Amino acid sequence: MNLNHFIQRAVADFRQNLPMQLMTTVVVCLSILIFTFFSFIYYNLQRTVERFGSELGLVVFLKTDIQESKIPILHQKLLNLPGIENVKYVSSEEAFERLGTYFEDAKGLLEGVDQHFLPASFELRINRAIFNLERIHALAVELEKWNEVAQVQYGKSWVDRLSAFVAVGEKVIWVSAVLLLATAAFVVSNTIKLAIYARQEEVSIMRLVGATNGFIQGPFLLEALFQGLVGSLLSIGLVFLCYSYFKGIVAQTELMRGVELIFLPPSYVISIVASSVVFCVCWTFLAIRRFLLV
Amino acid sequence: MLRTMKGPIISLRGITKQYPPDIIALSDIDLSIEKGEFVFLTGPSGSGKSTLLKLLSCMERPTSGELSLDDFDLTNLSASQVPYVRRKVGVIFQDFKLITTKTVFENVALSLEVIGLSSEQISKRVRDILELMGLASKTDRYPPQLSGGEQQRVAIARAVVNRPSIILADEPTGNLDRGMTNEVMALVEELNAEGATVIFATHDESLFAHTYRRVLTIHEGRLRA
Ligand SMILES: Nc1ncnc2c1ncn2[C@@H]1O[C@H](COP(=O)(O)OP(=O)(O)OP(=O)(O)O)[C@@H](O)[C@H]1O
Ligand SMILES: [Mg+2]
Repeated sequence: MNLNHFIQRAVADFRQNLPMQLMTTVVVCLSILIFTFFSFIYYNLQRTVERFGSELGLVVFLKTDIQESKIPILHQKLLNLPGIENVKYVSSEEAFERLGTYFEDAKGLLEGVDQHFLPASFELRINRAIFNLERIHALAVELEKWNEVAQVQYGKSWVDRLSAFVAVGEKVIWVSAVLLLATAAFVVSNTIKLAIYARQEEVSIMRLVGATNGFIQGPFLLEALFQGLVGSLLSIGLVFLCYSYFKGIVAQTELMRGVELIFLPPSYVISIVASSVVFCVCWTFLAIRRFLLV
Repeated sequence: MLRTMKGPIISLRGITKQYPPDIIALSDIDLSIEKGEFVFLTGPSGSGKSTLLKLLSCMERPTSGELSLDDFDLTNLSASQVPYVRRKVGVIFQDFKLITTKTVFENVALSLEVIGLSSEQISKRVRDILELMGLASKTDRYPPQLSGGEQQRVAIARAVVNRPSIILADEPTGNLDRGMTNEVMALVEELNAEGATVIFATHDESLFAHTYRRVLTIHEGRLRA
Protein backbone atom coordinates (compact mmCIF):
# COMPACT_ATOMS: atom_id res chain seq x y z
CA MET A 1 0.00 0.00 0.00
CA ASN A 2 1.68 3.21 -1.06
CA LEU A 3 0.83 6.85 -1.59
CA ASN A 4 0.47 6.34 -5.31
CA HIS A 5 -2.21 3.77 -4.68
CA PHE A 6 -4.02 6.10 -2.28
CA ILE A 7 -3.91 8.89 -4.83
CA GLN A 8 -5.36 6.62 -7.50
CA ARG A 9 -8.19 5.57 -5.23
CA ALA A 10 -8.77 9.14 -4.08
CA VAL A 11 -9.05 10.29 -7.69
CA ALA A 12 -11.49 7.49 -8.50
CA ASP A 13 -13.46 8.33 -5.36
CA PHE A 14 -13.49 11.97 -6.25
CA ARG A 15 -14.97 11.25 -9.64
CA GLN A 16 -17.53 8.87 -8.22
CA ASN A 17 -18.70 11.33 -5.59
CA LEU A 18 -18.18 14.48 -7.60
CA PRO A 19 -21.25 16.46 -6.50
CA MET A 20 -20.61 15.81 -2.81
CA GLN A 21 -16.91 16.56 -3.15
CA LEU A 22 -17.55 19.82 -4.97
CA MET A 23 -20.16 20.82 -2.45
CA THR A 24 -17.72 20.34 0.41
CA THR A 25 -15.04 22.28 -1.45
CA VAL A 26 -17.44 25.15 -2.13
CA VAL A 27 -18.61 25.20 1.49
CA VAL A 28 -14.99 25.33 2.64
CA CYS A 29 -14.33 28.10 0.15
CA LEU A 30 -17.33 30.23 1.17
CA SER A 31 -16.76 29.79 4.88
CA ILE A 32 -13.15 30.84 4.60
CA LEU A 33 -14.02 33.58 2.12
CA ILE A 34 -16.03 35.48 4.70
CA PHE A 35 -13.24 35.29 7.21
CA THR A 36 -10.51 36.14 4.70
CA PHE A 37 -12.38 39.11 3.31
CA PHE A 38 -12.99 40.39 6.79
CA SER A 39 -9.30 39.98 7.67
CA PHE A 40 -8.38 41.84 4.52
CA ILE A 41 -10.56 44.82 5.35
CA TYR A 42 -9.39 44.92 8.93
CA TYR A 43 -5.77 44.60 7.97
CA ASN A 44 -6.00 47.58 5.64
CA LEU A 45 -7.96 49.67 8.08
CA GLN A 46 -5.41 49.11 10.78
CA ARG A 47 -2.52 49.87 8.48
CA THR A 48 -4.09 53.06 7.24
CA VAL A 49 -4.72 54.32 10.75
CA GLU A 50 -1.16 53.57 11.71
CA ARG A 51 0.20 55.24 8.66
CA PHE A 52 -1.77 58.43 9.19
CA GLY A 53 -0.70 58.49 12.77
CA SER A 54 2.94 58.20 11.98
CA GLU A 55 2.78 60.60 9.07
CA LEU A 56 2.09 63.40 11.47
CA GLY A 57 5.56 63.24 12.86
CA LEU A 58 6.58 64.74 16.19
CA VAL A 59 7.22 68.30 17.22
CA VAL A 60 9.66 68.71 20.10
CA PHE A 61 9.26 72.11 21.79
CA LEU A 62 12.34 73.34 23.58
CA LYS A 63 12.42 75.29 26.80
CA THR A 64 12.73 79.05 26.20
CA ASP A 65 15.84 79.43 28.32
CA ILE A 66 17.90 77.07 26.16
CA GLN A 67 21.38 78.13 25.06
CA GLU A 68 21.94 78.68 21.34
CA SER A 69 25.11 76.58 21.47
CA LYS A 70 23.24 73.50 22.59
CA ILE A 71 21.00 73.42 19.50
CA PRO A 72 23.41 71.60 17.11
CA ILE A 73 24.20 69.02 19.81
CA LEU A 74 20.50 68.35 20.37
CA HIS A 75 19.93 68.23 16.64
CA GLN A 76 22.55 65.51 16.31
CA LYS A 77 21.21 63.64 19.35
CA LEU A 78 17.73 63.52 17.81
CA LEU A 79 19.07 62.43 14.46
CA ASN A 80 20.89 59.57 16.13
CA LEU A 81 17.68 58.14 17.52
CA PRO A 82 16.65 54.97 15.73
CA GLY A 83 13.97 55.39 13.10
CA ILE A 84 14.25 59.18 12.79
CA GLU A 85 14.50 60.10 9.15
CA ASN A 86 14.79 63.85 9.29
CA VAL A 87 15.07 66.56 11.93
CA LYS A 88 14.27 70.17 11.16
CA TYR A 89 15.05 73.00 13.55
CA VAL A 90 12.45 75.73 13.77
CA SER A 91 13.76 78.71 15.67
CA SER A 92 11.62 80.95 17.76
CA GLU A 93 11.69 83.65 15.04
CA GLU A 94 10.75 81.21 12.33
CA ALA A 95 7.82 80.03 14.36
CA PHE A 96 6.68 83.59 14.74
CA GLU A 97 6.95 84.13 10.99
CA ARG A 98 4.85 81.05 10.37
CA LEU A 99 2.26 82.42 12.73
CA GLY A 100 2.41 85.60 10.73
CA THR A 101 1.58 83.86 7.48
CA TYR A 102 -1.20 82.08 9.25
CA PHE A 103 -2.77 85.33 10.34
CA GLU A 104 -1.94 87.15 7.12
CA ASP A 105 -5.38 88.73 6.88
CA ALA A 106 -5.25 90.00 10.42
CA LYS A 107 -1.68 91.20 10.80
CA GLY A 108 -2.69 93.66 13.42
CA LEU A 109 -3.28 90.87 15.83
CA LEU A 110 0.41 90.17 16.22
CA GLU A 111 1.58 93.76 16.46
CA GLY A 112 3.52 94.51 19.57
CA VAL A 113 3.87 90.86 20.44
CA ASP A 114 7.32 89.71 21.44
CA GLN A 115 9.00 87.91 18.54
CA HIS A 116 10.35 85.35 20.94
CA PHE A 117 7.20 84.36 22.73
CA LEU A 118 7.01 81.13 20.77
CA PRO A 119 9.41 78.37 21.77
CA ALA A 120 11.96 76.99 19.34
CA SER A 121 11.28 73.43 18.22
CA PHE A 122 12.51 70.45 16.29
CA GLU A 123 10.24 68.75 13.76
CA LEU A 124 10.92 65.06 13.51
CA ARG A 125 10.03 62.93 10.53
CA ILE A 126 9.96 59.29 11.41
CA ASN A 127 10.32 56.11 9.47
CA ARG A 128 6.83 54.75 8.94
CA ALA A 129 8.00 51.23 8.52
CA ILE A 130 9.35 51.17 12.05
CA PHE A 131 6.88 53.30 13.95
CA ASN A 132 3.38 52.49 14.94
CA LEU A 133 1.21 54.60 17.18
CA GLU A 134 2.40 52.95 20.33
CA ARG A 135 6.02 53.54 19.53
CA ILE A 136 5.42 57.17 18.66
CA HIS A 137 3.76 57.60 22.00
CA ALA A 138 6.67 55.89 23.77
CA LEU A 139 9.15 58.12 21.95
CA ALA A 140 7.21 61.23 22.93
CA VAL A 141 7.21 60.23 26.57
CA GLU A 142 10.93 59.51 26.39
CA LEU A 143 11.74 62.88 24.78
CA GLU A 144 9.71 64.78 27.33
CA LYS A 145 12.10 63.54 30.00
CA TRP A 146 14.99 65.38 28.38
CA ASN A 147 16.09 68.49 30.29
CA GLU A 148 15.96 70.79 27.30
CA VAL A 149 12.52 69.69 26.18
CA ALA A 150 9.44 71.52 27.28
CA GLN A 151 6.80 69.47 25.47
CA VAL A 152 6.34 66.95 22.69
CA GLN A 153 3.37 66.94 20.36
CA TYR A 154 2.34 64.46 17.78
CA GLY A 155 -1.15 65.44 16.83
CA LYS A 156 -1.95 63.71 20.05
CA SER A 157 -5.65 64.20 20.39
CA TRP A 158 -6.26 63.14 16.83
CA VAL A 159 -4.08 60.09 17.16
CA ASP A 160 -5.51 59.33 20.58
CA ARG A 161 -8.99 59.35 19.24
CA LEU A 162 -7.96 57.22 16.36
CA SER A 163 -6.18 54.77 18.63
CA ALA A 164 -9.17 54.59 20.91
CA PHE A 165 -11.28 53.85 17.86
CA VAL A 166 -8.82 51.21 16.78
CA ALA A 167 -8.70 49.71 20.26
CA VAL A 168 -12.48 49.36 20.44
CA GLY A 169 -12.53 48.25 16.84
CA GLU A 170 -9.96 45.65 17.65
CA LYS A 171 -12.16 44.08 20.31
CA VAL A 172 -15.18 44.12 18.02
CA ILE A 173 -13.08 42.61 15.33
CA TRP A 174 -11.66 39.88 17.53
CA VAL A 175 -15.11 38.89 18.68
CA SER A 176 -16.40 38.90 15.11
CA ALA A 177 -13.37 36.95 13.94
CA VAL A 178 -13.95 34.29 16.55
CA LEU A 179 -17.65 34.11 15.66
CA LEU A 180 -16.87 33.90 11.97
CA LEU A 181 -14.31 31.19 12.56
CA ALA A 182 -16.75 29.26 14.75
CA THR A 183 -19.41 29.52 12.05
CA ALA A 184 -16.98 28.38 9.39
CA ALA A 185 -15.82 25.48 11.57
CA PHE A 186 -19.41 24.47 12.30
CA VAL A 187 -20.53 24.59 8.68
CA VAL A 188 -17.45 22.85 7.33
CA SER A 189 -17.41 20.14 9.97
CA ASN A 190 -21.09 19.36 9.43
CA THR A 191 -20.68 19.24 5.68
CA ILE A 192 -17.80 16.82 6.09
CA LYS A 193 -19.82 14.74 8.53
CA LEU A 194 -22.74 14.53 6.11
CA ALA A 195 -20.45 13.56 3.26
CA ILE A 196 -18.92 10.78 5.35
CA TYR A 197 -22.31 9.59 6.62
CA ALA A 198 -23.44 9.28 3.02
CA ARG A 199 -20.61 6.83 2.52
CA GLN A 200 -21.08 4.95 5.78
CA GLU A 201 -22.17 1.76 4.00
CA GLU A 202 -19.12 1.79 1.80
CA VAL A 203 -16.77 2.35 4.74
CA SER A 204 -18.24 -0.41 6.88
CA ILE A 205 -18.27 -2.89 3.99
CA MET A 206 -14.64 -2.17 3.27
CA ARG A 207 -13.94 -3.03 6.90
CA LEU A 208 -15.83 -6.30 6.48
CA VAL A 209 -13.74 -7.51 3.58
CA GLY A 210 -10.50 -6.96 5.47
CA ALA A 211 -9.44 -3.38 4.79
CA THR A 212 -7.30 -1.82 7.51
CA ASN A 213 -8.38 1.51 8.90
CA GLY A 214 -5.42 3.15 7.22
CA PHE A 215 -6.45 1.72 3.86
CA ILE A 216 -9.97 3.10 4.25
CA GLN A 217 -8.96 6.47 5.67
CA GLY A 218 -6.11 7.17 3.23
CA PRO A 219 -8.21 8.33 0.26
CA PHE A 220 -10.70 10.12 2.51
CA LEU A 221 -7.90 12.10 4.12
CA LEU A 222 -6.38 12.91 0.74
CA GLU A 223 -9.78 14.12 -0.43
CA ALA A 224 -10.10 16.26 2.70
CA LEU A 225 -6.65 17.67 2.05
CA PHE A 226 -7.70 18.56 -1.45
CA GLN A 227 -10.94 20.16 -0.29
CA GLY A 228 -9.19 22.19 2.39
CA LEU A 229 -6.45 23.29 0.00
CA VAL A 230 -8.60 24.11 -3.02
CA GLY A 231 -11.38 25.66 -0.92
CA SER A 232 -9.03 28.01 0.90
CA LEU A 233 -6.98 28.88 -2.19
CA LEU A 234 -10.19 29.68 -4.07
CA SER A 235 -11.39 31.97 -1.31
CA ILE A 236 -8.04 33.73 -1.18
CA GLY A 237 -8.11 34.07 -4.95
CA LEU A 238 -11.55 35.68 -4.72
CA VAL A 239 -10.35 38.12 -2.07
CA PHE A 240 -7.38 38.90 -4.29
CA LEU A 241 -9.78 39.74 -7.12
CA CYS A 242 -11.68 42.06 -4.77
CA TYR A 243 -8.38 43.60 -3.75
CA SER A 244 -7.39 44.29 -7.35
CA TYR A 245 -10.79 45.78 -8.03
CA PHE A 246 -10.81 48.04 -4.95
CA LYS A 247 -7.24 49.05 -5.51
CA GLY A 248 -8.17 50.61 -8.82
CA ILE A 249 -11.11 52.44 -7.25
CA VAL A 250 -9.07 53.75 -4.34
CA ALA A 251 -6.32 54.99 -6.65
CA GLN A 252 -8.88 57.02 -8.62
CA THR A 253 -10.63 58.53 -5.64
CA GLU A 254 -9.32 61.97 -4.73
CA LEU A 255 -10.37 61.65 -1.12
CA MET A 256 -8.28 58.56 -0.58
CA ARG A 257 -5.05 59.88 -1.94
CA GLY A 258 -2.16 58.44 0.00
CA VAL A 259 -4.20 55.41 1.01
CA GLU A 260 -2.76 52.32 -0.51
CA LEU A 261 -4.56 48.97 -0.31
CA ILE A 262 -2.35 46.09 0.71
CA PHE A 263 -3.10 42.39 0.20
CA LEU A 264 -2.84 40.08 3.19
CA PRO A 265 0.80 39.25 3.93
CA PRO A 266 2.08 35.84 2.74
CA SER A 267 2.45 34.53 6.28
CA TYR A 268 -1.25 35.23 6.89
CA VAL A 269 -2.29 33.58 3.62
CA ILE A 270 -0.20 30.54 4.44
CA SER A 271 -1.74 30.21 7.89
CA ILE A 272 -5.26 30.42 6.45
CA VAL A 273 -4.52 27.69 3.92
CA ALA A 274 -2.72 25.55 6.47
CA SER A 275 -5.49 25.86 9.08
CA SER A 276 -8.09 25.02 6.49
CA VAL A 277 -6.24 21.90 5.39
CA VAL A 278 -5.54 20.78 8.95
CA PHE A 279 -9.15 21.37 9.96
CA CYS A 280 -10.62 19.42 7.03
CA VAL A 281 -8.24 16.52 7.48
CA CYS A 282 -8.77 16.31 11.24
CA TRP A 283 -12.55 16.48 10.97
CA THR A 284 -12.64 13.84 8.27
CA PHE A 285 -10.44 11.67 10.45
CA LEU A 286 -12.80 12.08 13.40
CA ALA A 287 -15.99 11.71 11.36
CA ILE A 288 -14.89 8.48 9.75
CA ARG A 289 -13.59 6.92 12.94
CA ARG A 290 -17.00 5.98 14.24
CA PHE A 291 -17.59 3.71 11.26
CA LEU A 292 -14.30 1.91 11.71
CA LEU A 293 -15.09 0.29 15.01
CA VAL A 294 -16.90 -2.88 13.87
CA MET B 1 1.99 -20.24 6.56
CA LEU B 2 2.95 -23.54 8.08
CA ARG B 3 0.95 -24.67 11.02
CA THR B 4 3.22 -26.58 13.29
CA MET B 5 0.61 -27.48 15.87
CA LYS B 6 -2.14 -29.71 14.62
CA GLY B 7 -5.54 -28.87 15.95
CA PRO B 8 -8.91 -27.47 14.94
CA ILE B 9 -8.82 -24.39 12.72
CA ILE B 10 -11.99 -23.15 14.38
CA SER B 11 -12.77 -23.78 17.99
CA LEU B 12 -15.59 -22.54 20.24
CA ARG B 13 -15.68 -23.26 23.98
CA GLY B 14 -18.80 -22.41 25.93
CA ILE B 15 -19.72 -19.60 23.59
CA THR B 16 -22.75 -17.51 24.55
CA LYS B 17 -23.96 -14.50 22.64
CA GLN B 18 -26.50 -12.17 24.14
CA TYR B 19 -27.80 -9.21 22.16
CA PRO B 20 -28.95 -6.28 24.22
CA PRO B 21 -31.11 -6.20 26.16
CA ASP B 22 -31.65 -9.92 26.85
CA ILE B 23 -31.86 -11.83 23.56
CA ILE B 24 -29.84 -15.01 23.91
CA ALA B 25 -28.88 -15.82 20.31
CA LEU B 26 -26.36 -18.54 21.17
CA SER B 27 -25.91 -20.36 24.41
CA ASP B 28 -23.03 -22.50 25.55
CA ILE B 29 -21.79 -23.67 22.16
CA ASP B 30 -18.87 -26.10 22.00
CA LEU B 31 -17.60 -26.76 18.51
CA SER B 32 -14.38 -27.75 16.75
CA ILE B 33 -13.85 -27.69 13.02
CA GLU B 34 -10.75 -29.24 11.48
CA LYS B 35 -8.72 -27.64 8.77
CA GLY B 36 -10.11 -28.59 5.37
CA GLU B 37 -13.46 -29.69 6.75
CA PHE B 38 -16.77 -28.86 5.05
CA VAL B 39 -19.68 -28.56 7.50
CA PHE B 40 -23.29 -27.66 6.99
CA LEU B 41 -24.99 -25.45 9.54
CA THR B 42 -28.75 -25.66 9.62
CA GLY B 43 -31.66 -24.80 11.82
CA PRO B 44 -34.89 -22.83 11.73
CA SER B 45 -35.02 -19.10 11.09
CA GLY B 46 -33.82 -17.12 14.10
CA SER B 47 -31.97 -20.08 15.58
CA GLY B 48 -28.59 -18.31 15.56
CA LYS B 49 -26.82 -19.43 12.37
CA SER B 50 -25.88 -15.94 11.22
CA THR B 51 -24.86 -15.00 14.74
CA LEU B 52 -22.42 -17.89 14.84
CA LEU B 53 -20.88 -16.83 11.54
CA LYS B 54 -20.75 -13.20 12.70
CA LEU B 55 -18.72 -14.23 15.73
CA LEU B 56 -16.25 -15.97 13.44
CA SER B 57 -15.88 -12.91 11.21
CA CYS B 58 -15.57 -10.54 14.19
CA MET B 59 -18.75 -8.67 13.32
CA GLU B 60 -19.94 -9.52 16.81
CA ARG B 61 -18.04 -10.34 19.98
CA PRO B 62 -19.08 -13.28 22.20
CA THR B 63 -20.65 -12.44 25.54
CA SER B 64 -18.74 -15.26 27.18
CA GLY B 65 -16.69 -18.29 26.23
CA GLU B 66 -13.56 -18.78 24.19
CA LEU B 67 -13.25 -18.56 20.46
CA SER B 68 -10.27 -19.14 18.21
CA LEU B 69 -9.83 -19.13 14.46
CA ASP B 70 -6.62 -20.27 12.82
CA ASP B 71 -3.87 -18.57 14.83
CA PHE B 72 -6.13 -15.84 16.15
CA ASP B 73 -7.62 -15.81 19.61
CA LEU B 74 -10.88 -14.02 18.81
CA THR B 75 -11.80 -13.68 22.47
CA ASN B 76 -9.08 -11.13 23.13
CA LEU B 77 -8.54 -9.80 19.64
CA SER B 78 -7.44 -6.17 19.33
CA ALA B 79 -9.35 -4.01 16.85
CA SER B 80 -6.24 -3.55 14.73
CA GLN B 81 -6.01 -7.33 14.19
CA VAL B 82 -9.58 -7.66 12.90
CA PRO B 83 -8.72 -6.90 9.24
CA TYR B 84 -6.16 -9.70 9.19
CA VAL B 85 -8.71 -12.22 10.44
CA ARG B 86 -11.11 -11.08 7.74
CA ARG B 87 -8.57 -11.58 4.99
CA LYS B 88 -8.35 -15.26 5.94
CA VAL B 89 -12.11 -15.57 6.03
CA GLY B 90 -14.27 -15.15 2.96
CA VAL B 91 -17.78 -14.31 4.10
CA ILE B 92 -20.81 -14.63 1.86
CA PHE B 93 -23.25 -12.41 3.72
CA GLN B 94 -26.90 -13.33 3.88
CA ASP B 95 -27.75 -9.74 2.97
CA PHE B 96 -24.90 -9.55 0.38
CA LYS B 97 -23.40 -6.31 1.74
CA LEU B 98 -22.46 -4.94 -1.66
CA ILE B 99 -21.41 -1.31 -2.06
CA THR B 100 -24.27 0.18 -4.07
CA THR B 101 -22.18 3.06 -5.43
CA LYS B 102 -19.49 0.82 -6.87
CA THR B 103 -19.67 -1.43 -9.91
CA VAL B 104 -19.73 -5.21 -9.79
CA PHE B 105 -16.08 -5.22 -10.80
CA GLU B 106 -15.09 -2.72 -8.10
CA ASN B 107 -17.02 -4.60 -5.44
CA VAL B 108 -15.23 -7.84 -6.18
CA ALA B 109 -11.86 -6.13 -6.66
CA LEU B 110 -12.07 -4.69 -3.16
CA SER B 111 -11.13 -8.04 -1.59
CA LEU B 112 -7.92 -8.02 -3.60
CA GLU B 113 -7.15 -4.32 -3.22
CA VAL B 114 -7.06 -4.62 0.54
CA ILE B 115 -4.31 -7.23 0.35
CA GLY B 116 -2.32 -5.02 -2.00
CA LEU B 117 -2.35 -6.86 -5.32
CA SER B 118 -1.33 -5.00 -8.47
CA SER B 119 -4.11 -3.75 -10.70
CA GLU B 120 -3.18 -6.25 -13.47
CA GLN B 121 -3.47 -9.18 -11.08
CA ILE B 122 -6.70 -7.80 -9.68
CA SER B 123 -8.19 -7.28 -13.12
CA LYS B 124 -7.38 -10.81 -14.24
CA ARG B 125 -8.61 -12.58 -11.13
CA VAL B 126 -11.80 -10.53 -10.90
CA ARG B 127 -12.66 -11.19 -14.55
CA ASP B 128 -12.00 -14.89 -14.11
CA ILE B 129 -14.27 -15.25 -11.10
CA LEU B 130 -17.01 -13.12 -12.66
CA GLU B 131 -16.84 -15.34 -15.74
CA LEU B 132 -17.15 -18.39 -13.55
CA MET B 133 -20.17 -16.91 -11.75
CA GLY B 134 -21.85 -16.09 -15.07
CA LEU B 135 -21.54 -12.36 -14.50
CA ALA B 136 -19.12 -11.47 -17.30
CA SER B 137 -21.70 -9.23 -18.96
CA LYS B 138 -22.57 -7.44 -15.72
CA THR B 139 -19.07 -6.22 -14.84
CA ASP B 140 -19.86 -2.53 -15.05
CA ARG B 141 -23.35 -2.63 -13.56
CA TYR B 142 -24.19 -1.35 -10.13
CA PRO B 143 -25.72 -3.76 -7.59
CA PRO B 144 -29.18 -2.13 -7.55
CA GLN B 145 -29.37 -2.86 -11.28
CA LEU B 146 -29.00 -6.60 -10.66
CA SER B 147 -31.50 -9.30 -9.71
CA GLY B 148 -31.32 -10.86 -6.24
CA GLY B 149 -29.61 -13.95 -7.60
CA GLU B 150 -27.08 -11.88 -9.50
CA GLN B 151 -26.29 -9.84 -6.41
CA GLN B 152 -25.82 -13.04 -4.47
CA ARG B 153 -23.34 -14.29 -7.05
CA VAL B 154 -21.40 -11.02 -6.83
CA ALA B 155 -21.24 -11.50 -3.06
CA ILE B 156 -19.96 -15.05 -3.58
CA ALA B 157 -17.37 -13.86 -6.10
CA ARG B 158 -16.10 -11.23 -3.68
CA ALA B 159 -15.88 -13.75 -0.84
CA VAL B 160 -13.83 -16.32 -2.74
CA VAL B 161 -11.76 -14.23 -5.17
CA ASN B 162 -8.86 -13.92 -2.74
CA ARG B 163 -8.85 -17.68 -2.09
CA PRO B 164 -9.45 -17.47 1.66
CA SER B 165 -8.49 -20.40 3.85
CA ILE B 166 -11.90 -20.29 5.53
CA ILE B 167 -15.23 -19.70 3.78
CA LEU B 168 -18.28 -18.71 5.80
CA ALA B 169 -21.33 -18.96 3.61
CA ASP B 170 -24.59 -17.61 5.03
CA GLU B 171 -27.46 -18.89 2.88
CA PRO B 172 -25.37 -18.45 -0.27
CA THR B 173 -27.96 -20.14 -2.45
CA GLY B 174 -31.05 -18.57 -0.94
CA ASN B 175 -31.85 -16.55 -4.05
CA LEU B 176 -30.58 -18.93 -6.69
CA ASP B 177 -32.36 -21.37 -8.97
CA ARG B 178 -31.49 -25.05 -9.00
CA GLY B 179 -28.95 -24.71 -11.80
CA MET B 180 -27.09 -21.81 -10.22
CA THR B 181 -27.28 -23.48 -6.81
CA ASN B 182 -25.53 -26.52 -8.22
CA GLU B 183 -22.84 -24.32 -9.74
CA VAL B 184 -22.26 -22.52 -6.46
CA MET B 185 -22.10 -25.85 -4.64
CA ALA B 186 -19.59 -27.10 -7.21
CA LEU B 187 -17.47 -23.96 -6.77
CA VAL B 188 -17.45 -24.23 -2.98
CA GLU B 189 -16.67 -27.97 -3.21
CA GLU B 190 -13.78 -27.17 -5.50
CA LEU B 191 -12.37 -24.53 -3.13
CA ASN B 192 -12.78 -27.05 -0.32
CA ALA B 193 -10.91 -29.65 -2.35
CA GLU B 194 -8.11 -27.12 -2.72
CA GLY B 195 -7.88 -26.89 1.06
CA ALA B 196 -10.38 -24.26 2.19
CA THR B 197 -12.38 -24.93 5.32
CA VAL B 198 -16.08 -24.28 4.72
CA ILE B 199 -19.04 -23.56 6.98
CA PHE B 200 -22.18 -23.55 4.90
CA ALA B 201 -25.32 -22.24 6.58
CA THR B 202 -28.57 -23.17 4.84
CA HIS B 203 -32.23 -24.08 5.29
CA ASP B 204 -32.19 -26.11 2.11
CA GLU B 205 -32.22 -29.71 3.30
CA SER B 206 -31.78 -31.05 -0.22
CA LEU B 207 -28.24 -29.65 -0.17
CA PHE B 208 -27.16 -31.92 2.66
CA ALA B 209 -29.74 -34.70 2.53
CA HIS B 210 -27.37 -37.20 0.96
CA THR B 211 -24.09 -35.82 2.16
CA TYR B 212 -21.41 -37.73 4.02
CA ARG B 213 -20.34 -34.40 5.56
CA ARG B 214 -20.95 -33.19 9.09
CA VAL B 215 -24.27 -31.38 9.55
CA LEU B 216 -24.61 -29.10 12.56
CA THR B 217 -28.14 -28.37 13.62
CA ILE B 218 -28.80 -25.38 15.77
CA HIS B 219 -32.04 -24.82 17.64
CA GLU B 220 -32.85 -21.75 19.71
CA GLY B 221 -29.20 -20.98 20.12
CA ARG B 222 -28.13 -24.51 21.08
CA LEU B 223 -26.26 -27.07 19.03
CA ARG B 224 -28.02 -30.42 18.69
CA ALA B 225 -25.91 -33.50 18.37
N1 LIG C 1 -28.30 -7.22 16.10
C1 LIG C 1 -29.22 -7.91 16.78
N2 LIG C 1 -29.77 -7.38 17.88
C2 LIG C 1 -30.67 -8.07 18.59
N3 LIG C 1 -31.08 -9.29 18.30
C3 LIG C 1 -30.56 -9.91 17.22
C4 LIG C 1 -29.60 -9.24 16.41
N4 LIG C 1 -29.24 -10.09 15.40
C5 LIG C 1 -29.96 -11.20 15.60
N5 LIG C 1 -30.75 -11.11 16.68
C6 LIG C 1 -31.61 -12.13 17.21
O1 LIG C 1 -30.80 -13.27 17.47
C7 LIG C 1 -31.46 -14.46 17.10
C8 LIG C 1 -30.60 -15.22 16.09
O2 LIG C 1 -30.52 -14.47 14.90
P1 LIG C 1 -29.73 -15.01 13.63
O3 LIG C 1 -29.69 -13.91 12.65
O4 LIG C 1 -28.42 -15.55 14.10
O5 LIG C 1 -30.67 -16.18 13.12
P2 LIG C 1 -30.51 -17.12 11.81
O6 LIG C 1 -30.40 -18.49 12.30
O7 LIG C 1 -29.42 -16.61 10.96
O8 LIG C 1 -31.90 -16.89 11.10
P3 LIG C 1 -32.23 -16.89 9.53
O9 LIG C 1 -32.27 -18.31 9.11
O10 LIG C 1 -33.58 -16.28 9.45
O11 LIG C 1 -31.16 -16.11 8.85
C9 LIG C 1 -32.80 -14.03 16.53
O12 LIG C 1 -33.77 -14.21 17.56
C10 LIG C 1 -32.64 -12.58 16.20
O13 LIG C 1 -33.85 -11.89 16.39
MG1 LIG D 1 -29.25 -15.78 9.13
